[in-house]
Amino acid sequence: MGLEQFKNRNVGTQNYKTLDLDHTPVTGMGQFKQVVSRTFKPELFVGLWVTFREMINALFRGKMHTTQYPFEKLPISPRYRAIHDMLRLLESGHYRCIGCGLCEKICISNCISMDTKYDENQRKEVSEYTINFGRCIFCGYCAEVCPELAIVHGSRYETASEQRASFSLFEDMLTPIDQLNLQQEYQGFGAISPNADENIKKTPLAY
Amino acid sequence: MDATHLPEVTAAGVIIKAVLILAVIAAIAGFGTYIERKILAFMQRRYGPQHVGPYGLLQLAADGIKLFTKEDIIPQHANKIIFAVAPVITAATAFIALAAVPVFPDFTIPFIDVYVPSIASDINVGILFVLGMMAAGLYGPLLAGMAQANKWGIIGSARTAIQFLSYEVVTGLSILAPIMMVGSLSFVDFNDYQADGTWLVVYQPVAFILFLIAGFAETNRTPFDLLEHEAEIISGYVTEYSGMRWGLFFIGEYANMITIGVIASVVFLGGYNDFWIFPGWLMIIGKIAFSFFFMLWVRAAWPHVRPDQLMWLCWKVLMPLAVINVVITGIVIMLVQ
Amino acid sequence: MSEVQTVENMVSITIDGVDYKAKEGEYILNAARANDIFIPAICYLTRCSPTLACRLCLVEADGKQVYSCNAKVKEGMEITVNTPDILAERRAMMEVYDVNHPLQCGVCDQSGECELQNYTLELGVDSQSYTIQDTKREATNWSSVLHYDPGLCIVCERCTTVCKDMIGDAAIKTTKRGGEALDKAWKDEMPKDAYAMWNKLQKSVIAPSNGTEHTNCSDCGECVAVCPVGALVSRDFVYTSNAWDLKRIPATCAHCSSGCQIYYETKPASIEDRTEKIFRVTNEWNYVSLCGAGRFGYDFENRTATKDTAAFTAAVEAFKKAKVINFNSVITNEEALMLQTLKEKLGVKLINREARAFQRFLGFYGEASGQSLYSLNFKEVMASDFVMSVGSSLRNDNPNARYAFNNVQKLNKGAGLYFHPVGDTLVPTFGKNIEMFAHKVGHEEAALLFIIKLFADQDKLPASVKEQLESDFVELLGGDTAKFEKGFDKMMKKKETFSLMVGEDLYFHEKAENLAKLIAVLESSSDVKVAMIPPKTNSLGVALICDLDDEAEGYTIGYNESGDFKLSALGDGDLDMPAMNQQEGTLTNMHKRVTPTNAALEYNGYVLNDIVREVASAPKETIMWTEHLPVSKGFKAVEFDSLPNHYTNDGVEHRGYLLESTSVEVEEISVDKFDDANALEGEIAYRCNPQRQFNDFSDKAHQIFEGFGLYASPTKAEALGSKVEVEFANGKLTLDVIVDERMEGDIVAIPDFKSAENIYELFAGSRYQTVTIKEV
Repeated sequence: MGLEQFKNRNVGTQNYKTLDLDHTPVTGMGQFKQVVSRTFKPELFVGLWVTFREMINALFRGKMHTTQYPFEKLPISPRYRAIHDMLRLLESGHYRCIGCGLCEKICISNCISMDTKYDENQRKEVSEYTINFGRCIFCGYCAEVCPELAIVHGSRYETASEQRASFSLFEDMLTPIDQLNLQQEYQGFGAISPNADENIKKTPLAY
Repeated sequence: MDATHLPEVTAAGVIIKAVLILAVIAAIAGFGTYIERKILAFMQRRYGPQHVGPYGLLQLAADGIKLFTKEDIIPQHANKIIFAVAPVITAATAFIALAAVPVFPDFTIPFIDVYVPSIASDINVGILFVLGMMAAGLYGPLLAGMAQANKWGIIGSARTAIQFLSYEVVTGLSILAPIMMVGSLSFVDFNDYQADGTWLVVYQPVAFILFLIAGFAETNRTPFDLLEHEAEIISGYVTEYSGMRWGLFFIGEYANMITIGVIASVVFLGGYNDFWIFPGWLMIIGKIAFSFFFMLWVRAAWPHVRPDQLMWLCWKVLMPLAVINVVITGIVIMLVQ
Repeated sequence: MSEVQTVENMVSITIDGVDYKAKEGEYILNAARANDIFIPAICYLTRCSPTLACRLCLVEADGKQVYSCNAKVKEGMEITVNTPDILAERRAMMEVYDVNHPLQCGVCDQSGECELQNYTLELGVDSQSYTIQDTKREATNWSSVLHYDPGLCIVCERCTTVCKDMIGDAAIKTTKRGGEALDKAWKDEMPKDAYAMWNKLQKSVIAPSNGTEHTNCSDCGECVAVCPVGALVSRDFVYTSNAWDLKRIPATCAHCSSGCQIYYETKPASIEDRTEKIFRVTNEWNYVSLCGAGRFGYDFENRTATKDTAAFTAAVEAFKKAKVINFNSVITNEEALMLQTLKEKLGVKLINREARAFQRFLGFYGEASGQSLYSLNFKEVMASDFVMSVGSSLRNDNPNARYAFNNVQKLNKGAGLYFHPVGDTLVPTFGKNIEMFAHKVGHEEAALLFIIKLFADQDKLPASVKEQLESDFVELLGGDTAKFEKGFDKMMKKKETFSLMVGEDLYFHEKAENLAKLIAVLESSSDVKVAMIPPKTNSLGVALICDLDDEAEGYTIGYNESGDFKLSALGDGDLDMPAMNQQEGTLTNMHKRVTPTNAALEYNGYVLNDIVREVASAPKETIMWTEHLPVSKGFKAVEFDSLPNHYTNDGVEHRGYLLESTSVEVEEISVDKFDDANALEGEIAYRCNPQRQFNDFSDKAHQIFEGFGLYASPTKAEALGSKVEVEFANGKLTLDVIVDERMEGDIVAIPDFKSAENIYELFAGSRYQTVTIKEV
């Protein structure tokens, strides 16, 4: 087997056009011809035409390309990793976080911390949870490792703040209970793969 | 037009003209930056400045305030006097050159009956004076680059010297042919020569193109903006400049662009003569505006050249063409007479 | 275990085709572990008897399937760890363990340090073949510290085993779960051992053995330590932290003289409070067992925020004019050496009551026996098969001595004699061959003479002893002669090694010198070897390092004790000192071992070394004193940082170093005549702490609930009422009466763990005093 397929490191459909470049003339006559042809060919005017056409497009044909950012926002990918959201269970409205601490453990910039305790229902209760966004690098490991799809990345990417280390508390990130119907599942790292069912074996049940 | 029919040129008229030139051109030079940003933006399908004032018109004021209030920094090892004077040279020469350029047709202010001439000072060597003044403008960038104790500045100065000096030759030679035809160095005579509606560009297309190309080089515009080309030499001769000193260079540059526009209009494009139903003053404004727009258009469309290509173009293509044009013009004049 | 056993007979065995040496009589599993060979096993505990609950340790030995935790190695034995059959069995067992095991690993307090998880992965269980209906099992709190979640429990019985074999409480046992019966069809479908295991598992769950909801035990928490899953957790720790978040600091427990190896596990207290806090204490439970104080009494640190320069200046001034330094045994060897240095340079007198008593006793023993230190350490006691205890309330004085007494009964098929005036209901339950003598106070000499009579070679005895052996000691000590003689023959069957533990009663005894001589006589004339229980944490170290004084007058500096100027690690003194979990240094424990301890928590104030530097001279760090500990007393000139602190797989302890004992020839010993009239009569109080209390520090810890009061047996407590005034010859105390269900008899116990109460003064140099008790 040849190694050719390994040498081709271009990723994608390989649908490239090659530029039809002239060879550099070597003789004096050749150079002269090139100068003449370049001088009298209307290539320069093509350039002028293209820019003028675009100006017309922009001004009169509504093809202005600018998104006027603070006033207009582009939709972002559902996989974008912005400020975290804490999701709730759709059925009960209870927060999904079980306080397992995996996000805290995996966080490579050590910015997540949580306090947990034994609550009156004999469950593990997350009494406090913070992310130090002055440190967070938005790597997404926390969302990936979360077994409950509780901590996910949201779409709030405007993170400028007066303090460099702006903390975010559990309540800040948690879906407001009255907006539970608007809660979106995250589709990035940590989300269930579309073929998840094929990858698990069934456990027999005696019920 | 016969000079004897003209009203007397009074001191008040000259002063008004001078103030007009200074005020209007300086304002237009500043305003030019707004226009340039808008035009370039449109050509790239962007909006350009649009938040300061309606359509971003007050961007100029904002920039002005910014430039005026910026800290005036003079580098530690710079030659402080020359560093301070250099931008003034650029701006001053640009405006002085305008003294001998006819910007509007002459007119009389009603009620106070003051005659304002078309030109502040209609000296009989107007073209030479203007070209000379613009050539003197090379001292601005040259001294600025050398005084600032910065290597990028030095490179900028060197480029200033070779580019301005070289293209001075082309400018001179290209404009020589129309001069030969008109037989005068006065801009007013050029204007009057074309009063019949036949523009000189019809007789001198090669000279016009050569002049235009040289004009780009003289005003340090793309594709010949090698003096301060950011991608290569940071900012060339203005590397160490900031605030209003930096601003002066650009007022000078935009004033020069207008000057070149005026010269091209007056010498080649029929000057401020009435044309069809359009009055002369509208014609000249239109022509200057178009030439200004053309400079921006070119900047949006074309890449800039390498310094060696610039020299090659000057000495191997443009200068010979200009000489040939002069010779042919001379022969034709000789034969016609 | 290490030093004495290296000479034992070794046999050659082959494991998976490789030759190894193993100790004769060793279980295959232990032999494999000692040679770093992995055999899966969940239920087996190194120092306890095999439970045979998990059956994972199945191996093939000489062609037969045996349980390696229960089969002993034989010369030439060929062992195969994995065969296809065994692997199938093991996999089936792990699947069975995983049946209905809650999938709450995310919140489980075991947080990944779970043997069920590990073995499930190790044995490649990726699917489940078995199923049965689950039984509802509610989580309960067994005691003030124990939390049990039967849902997570895999009934490996490690907790019950350690409680019985090591601790001796036997407070928990397996009981009926009340679950669904196993479908008989499984029997044919699944491997034999796995079915048997499942059958048992499905029926059982762990519960307190007294039949109630709550355990009646010493709350040592060892069951929590050995639990392979998250079923048993301390109540305080439940759902507060993941194991991986905790930083482990190897240390030595400073509550009693056992000096157990522990790890303080710390992490920042909370999101608001980022100062490090100890969340729990863990231990190498295969090699060392903790008591309740060690495991739960950890938060006694002194939270001093800053260096108080004014107090420090005052302290330096106080030291300059001090005549006496009054301190106790909760002190490192290094600090003891500093105090000794101060004595040498400034001429102050050093007062430490318990260490002084022990020092005198050791001195008498040394003069009589020629040995600078007692013969046995407690690891060796644990390895003996006949153990005796004189002069120590075993259950309260020292947990390790008690564990040793119990472990000898359980594991070595041993026997024991327990002599103590305060009756105890727990000790006799340790084994069948235990005889308890609740003798009169003052009859300790008689107890020793009795032991001499039982074990000594009569020819080797000095005349002064020989002549005293005629009396009927069993009767004298409160036993039944006929019954004892019958039982004793049985007790002595197949016994080879004999050990005697002596305790604090003897050191504070009026006739301490005579008792020490009797011990020396016993050792020189019999096979019985003696171990002594130092009264408090580092009493042995202090006794060896410091030149202590008996009485002193004048301006006194109290170090964790009363004085005119008080240095205190409890935060109530004139100058703050670091508590033991904030200090580095070494402690000398009852195993005659100098063990290093490390600082688990930050301490920001001044330390003793700073004061010593001001008033005399001192190196930069406290631990730089370690190498200067007196070599003449058995210490070694070793740097602190080079002291090891770990155990190896075969259970060998590598912590610090053992003290060197020196011996000289001595002349024949002459003993005083035992006088029956010395016995105390009347209402007697005994200076003795409750089970998990040792000092002010254990008292400060929030999970130690045993209060300061008068402890009495149930019947005595009923007679006394709820609150009493105890009148001593030189003072009185008003105390609440607290019932100790395991006490017997009329003697009441008054704790000494609160130094502020000056209990030692009241007892005036003895552990027993006649008192008058009135209800108030």
